[in-house]
Amino acid sequence: MVDRKEIAHLGDLVKVDLKEPEKYIQQVDQILNYFERLDRVEYNSDKTLRKEVSFESLRDDKYEQFQSDGKPLIDYLKKDQNNFVRAPKMI
Amino acid sequence: MSLEISATEYLSRVRAGNISVEEFVAKTLDRVHTVEDKVHAYITIDEQNALNKAKSIDKKIKAKEKVGSLLGMPVSIKDNICTFGLKTTCASKMLENFVSPYDATVISRLRQEDAVIIGKVNLDEFAMGSTTEFSHFGPSRNPWNTEYVPGGSSGGSGVSVSALECMISLGSDTGGSVRSPASFCSVVGLKPTYGLVSRYGLVSYANSIEQIGPVARRVEDIALVMNIIAGHDPRDDTTVQNNKVDYTAGLDSGIKGKKIGLVQQMIGEGVDKEVSSATNNAVSKLQELGAECITISLDAVEHSVAAYYTIASAEASSNLARYDNLRYGFDFGSEGFEFKAYVSKIRSNFGPEVTRRMLLGAFVLSAGYYGKYYLKAQKVRAMMKSQVDEAFTKVDFLLAPTMPILPFKIGEKIDDPLTLYLLDINTITANLTGIPAISIPFAISSSGLPIGMQILANSFEEKSLLQAGYSLQQATNLPRVPL
Repeated sequence: MVDRKEIAHLGDLVKVDLKEPEKYIQQVDQILNYFERLDRVEYNSDKTLRKEVSFESLRDDKYEQFQSDGKPLIDYLKKDQNNFVRAPKMI
Repeated sequence: MSLEISATEYLSRVRAGNISVEEFVAKTLDRVHTVEDKVHAYITIDEQNALNKAKSIDKKIKAKEKVGSLLGMPVSIKDNICTFGLKTTCASKMLENFVSPYDATVISRLRQEDAVIIGKVNLDEFAMGSTTEFSHFGPSRNPWNTEYVPGGSSGGSGVSVSALECMISLGSDTGGSVRSPASFCSVVGLKPTYGLVSRYGLVSYANSIEQIGPVARRVEDIALVMNIIAGHDPRDDTTVQNNKVDYTAGLDSGIKGKKIGLVQQMIGEGVDKEVSSATNNAVSKLQELGAECITISLDAVEHSVAAYYTIASAEASSNLARYDNLRYGFDFGSEGFEFKAYVSKIRSNFGPEVTRRMLLGAFVLSAGYYGKYYLKAQKVRAMMKSQVDEAFTKVDFLLAPTMPILPFKIGEKIDDPLTLYLLDINTITANLTGIPAISIPFAISSSGLPIGMQILANSFEEKSLLQAGYSLQQATNLPRVPL
């Protein structure tokens, strides 16, 4: 059962100030209850899908400057000065 | 000159000099201005650039210079695909002013072939939804009845093609998001095999299942677009070489001698009576065309919605963690804020469905629940792939109605997310297993609402899938959109 405390914790994990947490309690709980049916499946194998990719098939790991219309990407970003992005203080 | 002509007919008329590109694009823009108030397909209309581009293509044609194969065909693009110099909002307040600094690979390829981009079209925020009601910019409306939802999340793509506001559109399909609006708006929508079309420049939602796909009014138009967008892209390592398959060749090869499996779990409980009856009619039509139809059981479909939403929410929660409004986003000063408080405040601008999925994703991935939900969902996915592989040893195609019910009224189900999730039951198999699937307009209900049929094929069998779709399309005769 998902309660107010759990929803607040999830909001904290995904970094969202939940304006109306009550709205999500019942809906998330209902959906998770539906997901419970995954417990009732008869799993005959532990197999999960995965694709193996050979190292050789990957593109070369080399520096390539991103440019768009002749400008570097930084020119398209919100920046303060000297090409730095301003972030709030970390405490 | 009708805007209803097919893409192939458009090309031959432009080539013959019967119409100019500017004339057709201008007429398309007139149509957009006439119907947009009623259907709200577009978020951004790029009128001036579209007209300028059309004029420049006409000039090239006149001067007998080399022109791209689309000859100025008007297209619309789902607003989660990056288009250089144009906004890519993902229908979210978080990106309402974000202008793409580069083109997605599919856009570069369309531009190279001289497509004219009319604008960017509406979607559920970050492509999470199946009705287009979860757009920050308001819902799109179904051209067949504007009180009804057009499907989603690529609702703007379905609506713009159906309402003659463009000729073709690109959408993205994570759980049916191209096929659902195609079905609800009576147009054709293809979800290609995972890896056939580059996702470079598609704003990520659930990377392991999503795929860009075309929407058009005719199967032959879909084939034309696939010839341009399919194939390997060095910027997307999941893409494969397709050996330049010509999807337009042999479209009329027919379906005689092919074996089709009607998926039992997709036609049972919860399917609307008229949808059910249309499915039976589709089976009869395909049999008349020489196909053999049998019933196929895919047990894993019963667990697919739970598995799909576990995986999709987990990937969404991870992908959307990047939106902190620091490098791009809207103006909101960080002065006086501690880092986490700033980010959490900014992120409260996500809409309800995106927030819900991030919460679910965080839950199913959190310590103690990973094995209970996420790992089991991945096992269901493997089980489903194995059952689908087994099915394709017996049949050439699978068949089911694209959507189990008819389009419904805007607002009718918006507060019931689980009911909305369950509507994806027939479409998510293709996403979880990576196979291609196409929705073909098949019938119109007694209340005047469209019903689409879905055909699924084995991985990278798009060519034969389009042939099957074409056969079904040719066997139908549907009314024109009443708008």
